[in-house]
Parts: sequence; C-alpha cells; structure tokens
Amino acid sequence: MAQMTLPGWFKEARGAPCAAGGRSAQRSFVEKNLARFNSFTKEVLEPEEYSKKRGLLQWITPKARIAGIFFMIAAAGLSTNAYALSGAVFLTALLTAFSGVGFSALAKRVWPAVVFTLVIISPVFFSFFTPGERLFGVSAGPFEAAVTREGVLSGLFFVTRAASMVSLAALLLLTTGQTEFFRGLAGLPVPRFFVTALYMMFRYVFILLKVAEDANLALKSRTAGRARIKESQQWFSSRAAMILRKSLNAAEEVSMAMASRGFDGKIKTLRGPGLAVRDYIWLAGALFILFLSFGLSS
Amino acid sequence: MKEEVYRADGLGYSYGGRVALREICFTVRSGESLAVLGANGSGKSTLLKILNGLIFPKTGKVEFMGAPLTEESLSGEFLKCFRERVGFVFPEPDVQLFCPTVYDELAFGPLQLGVPDSEIKKRVDELLEMLGISNLSGRAPYTLSGGEKKKVAIASVLSVDPDVLLLDEPTNGLDPRTQVWFFELLQSLKVINKTFIMCTHDLSLVEDLASRAVVLDESHRVVFDGPALDVLKDKDLLLRANIIHEHTHRHGGITHIHSHGPYSTHDEHD
Repeated sequence: MAQMTLPGWFKEARGAPCAAGGRSAQRSFVEKNLARFNSFTKEVLEPEEYSKKRGLLQWITPKARIAGIFFMIAAAGLSTNAYALSGAVFLTALLTAFSGVGFSALAKRVWPAVVFTLVIISPVFFSFFTPGERLFGVSAGPFEAAVTREGVLSGLFFVTRAASMVSLAALLLLTTGQTEFFRGLAGLPVPRFFVTALYMMFRYVFILLKVAEDANLALKSRTAGRARIKESQQWFSSRAAMILRKSLNAAEEVSMAMASRGFDGKIKTLRGPGLAVRDYIWLAGALFILFLSFGLSS
Repeated sequence: MKEEVYRADGLGYSYGGRVALREICFTVRSGESLAVLGANGSGKSTLLKILNGLIFPKTGKVEFMGAPLTEESLSGEFLKCFRERVGFVFPEPDVQLFCPTVYDELAFGPLQLGVPDSEIKKRVDELLEMLGISNLSGRAPYTLSGGEKKKVAIASVLSVDPDVLLLDEPTNGLDPRTQVWFFELLQSLKVINKTFIMCTHDLSLVEDLASRAVVLDESHRVVFDGPALDVLKDKDLLLRANIIHEHTHRHGGITHIHSHGPYSTHDEHD
C-alpha cells in the first residue's frame, strides 16, 4: 500500500517529555454542573438505595402505595387547619422513619421546593399584602415595608403545607423503584397517555444527559487548562442546539427500537401481585386522613 | 421449496437528497441465513430498518410473507403478527436498552405483544438462564459492560421468539469470548430453522453462519446475490465493494501484498 505524504509539522519530534503535573485541575463550570445534574437525576429517578430496603412503605404494593400517598397529598393540600397540617407533617415523619429513609435524603429533595415557595409567597409576610400586628420593618416617608404577625403565620402555614406535600411525593419516589412506579401507575385509573408521556420523559432525560456528557468529554480531551466560567457558558450555549439535535436523533432511534419490539404507544407492564389485606388497611387509613382533613377544614 | 419470507422489489430510499438505496431486489426464504455486506454508508442499516417496517421505501416495494409492508398495512393484527415474527437487534445496544432493569428489558417485547404474564416470566427466566445472564437480571442496563449490553439486547429480542432475526453489525465491539458465545447462539438458532438477515463487515461471520450473501456497493446497489462462500472467494468484488482492501507490508525479507479486512488472507506475495 502506498504511503501517505504527511505534512512537515506532523513529522517534527516533540522534544523533551512532558513535565510532571502540578496540582489537580479543577473541573470546569459545565463539567461540574453536568455531573451534579446527572447524579441528582439518577438519584431522584432511580432511587435504588431506599426502594430495596425493607420498610413500611416498601411493604405496601406499589399501586396501593401510590394511591395512598396521593390521598395524603390531597389531604395536606386541602387542609386549612393548623392541627390537620401538623398531623400531616407528623405522619410524614413517621412514614419516613418506618420506611428506613434518611431524613437528610428526604430534606435534600424537599428544600429546593421550600425555598422556591418562600420566594414566591414572600409578599405575604408584609403589611402591604397582609395587614396586621407589626413585628418589624423599615419605613421611608410614606412607604413602609413591615412584616406582620398575621403575614408570618399565613406564610409559614403555606410553606409547611407545600413542604408536607413535597415530602410525601419525595417519600413515594424514594421508596419506589422506576419499574414499580410505572407498574403501580399503570394499575391505577390514570390516563394511558399520561403514563406513556412520563415514561418517555424518563428515557429521554437520560439520553440528553449522556449526549451532553459525551460532548463535554470530547471537549475536555482536546483542550488544556481550565476554561473561564464565561467561556464555558458560551461553549455550552453554542453547543446546546447540537446536543439537542443529537439527543433527538438518539431518541428517534430509541423509539424505533421500541416500535420494533411491539410498542404501540401504550405502556404495558407485568401485572404485580393483587392487593393484600395490608394494602386495604393502608388505603383505608389514607382515605380516612383525607376525610379527616375535610372535617377539620370545615 | 421453502416459504418466501421477504421480497424486495426495486427498493429505493434517500435521506433528503442523499441516496441510501437504489433499486434493491432480492428474496429471502424461511430458514435462510443471509449476510448483507457493504462498506460504511452503503445502505445496509437502512435496508434492515425497511425490512423491520421502521421506515418505508421511497420507491419500489417490500413484501413480508406475501403481504405488502407499508405504513398503511402495518397496523392492527398484521402489525402484531409482524412484530411477533421479526426481531431486530440494533447495532448500538444503548439505543435498544431503555427499561429500568435487565428483567424488564426482556419482558418488554412480549408484554407489548400481549403474551400472558405467566408465559413472559417463564420465557424471561429461561432466557436469562440459557444466555448465562441471570446475575444481571436486576441490574440497570446502563451499568453493564459493552458485551453484557449486547447479550441483553439480543435476549430482549429473543424473548419475543421471532422467526426472523435482523442483526445490524452484531459482532461490533464484542470481545473474542463474547463473539464465540454469539456464534454458538446463532448456530443453535440456525438448527431450529430461524431466518437471519445480518448486516456486517465481519467476513468470518459470513463464512461461519451465512448460507447466502448480498453485496451492496458504494453506489447503493446490489452487486452480488448468491452463495456466501462464492462471495468470499471473489476478491475483486470484495475490493470493489470496499469490504476488504489491499496493502503491502514486509515480514522479514518478504514483501507481501495482501487483501486486508476483518477476514484477511496472506494470499499474494512478491
């Protein structure tokens, strides 16, 4: 076979070997954020650690578990009484403890929702939104921004209610593996379209993440030194369309692979075991809490 | 004569303005093992997707067991029957493995096709055992090694019990032991009269498993259709179709010119 003619610069020897590396380079903005997002997504979507434990919620059939937690979330959402809400918080804590779920793991999933709720409802704390007994504040001429007692109580009630609802949802996701979750959901009278859309979203989130990670690794393998945050952000935004396009291609291949094995848009899962006595007790308890919340509200 | 499974008549396909297939004609009979050979970009994968009813030809037609395979015809009972009978192993296992666990992956196909739960459980357990992957049952597919992923991808198709297996580059990226495992599996399936259509560059696969070969050249046309062993002997054809290439190198004092590809022979010496 004829040899190729290589350009001159290609033939030049490198000279001295590479000097030993110094301190380890810090990860770039994109790499750090991708890694965090990836690990968060995997933790949230595939909670192997707690779903395989033996605990109270894990003992309940997934279908009943999902329905029961839904009733309790509804109860927390409908409660307008502080006692009922405290009861919901207490119950969530009990379920967390008896299901072997760490409070820190639960808190990790709940705090972003709490912070978000606090930001959204922050005007409620002030007198211009909730007039009442002034606790503290500042005034400048005719303008006054004072936090009122009634505002604090309303705000805290609202935040507690949101935290309680999110905690219950997080507890469900932590104690239910992905397969069990979809099996349970498919067994409930939930629209098929909703289950399918949710299922596809789970799949495509992972594809998108993998494409983004691969693109970042390809960049890393061809660059030296650490890019500045602004450069990283610019690179990421300029590649966003490419990443989206690549992930769409991959998603199309996945949907072909699904169609090839008979998928027709309706997710079918293996039927789990029927409901046991314990499931009926659990459901009755959850329904009772829901009715109780109505009673206490009125 | 054995039953005709596929008939392709003047198939043509293009992606936008880029032609992938031109006037492809061939038939496949039940129990046949057909190798589709061609260089990268010759249209092999596109052809398999058409045969699996995932995309449809722009020109010409394709029939499955005498029935036209079109977007309109692939619905209802025919679609179910077709998916039960034809399995497709994608070249990239990551694309094919989308379920949370290996067990679910194997159960996915039969579930979608309405196989009873008890039968699915039996099939999955027996396949896991047969393929020696029972230990992977509860694992998430993305945590597996390349060879394990390929095994699971093949198992996920076999659980449907298809009569026809479409294999796109089945030995790509497999280590030697897994390749032997794969050859043995296909040999066993051949004995029970399964039909194979495999796209490959791997000429050793053709020699060991294919009874017939179709060669696509870089103009996306069929340039050979005949016994597999004949194509392996036709070095000029393999060179023209860019399946092998020739190069010169030295062993000690001897200079060789030899064909080079996945299946190479030191057949010419200077």
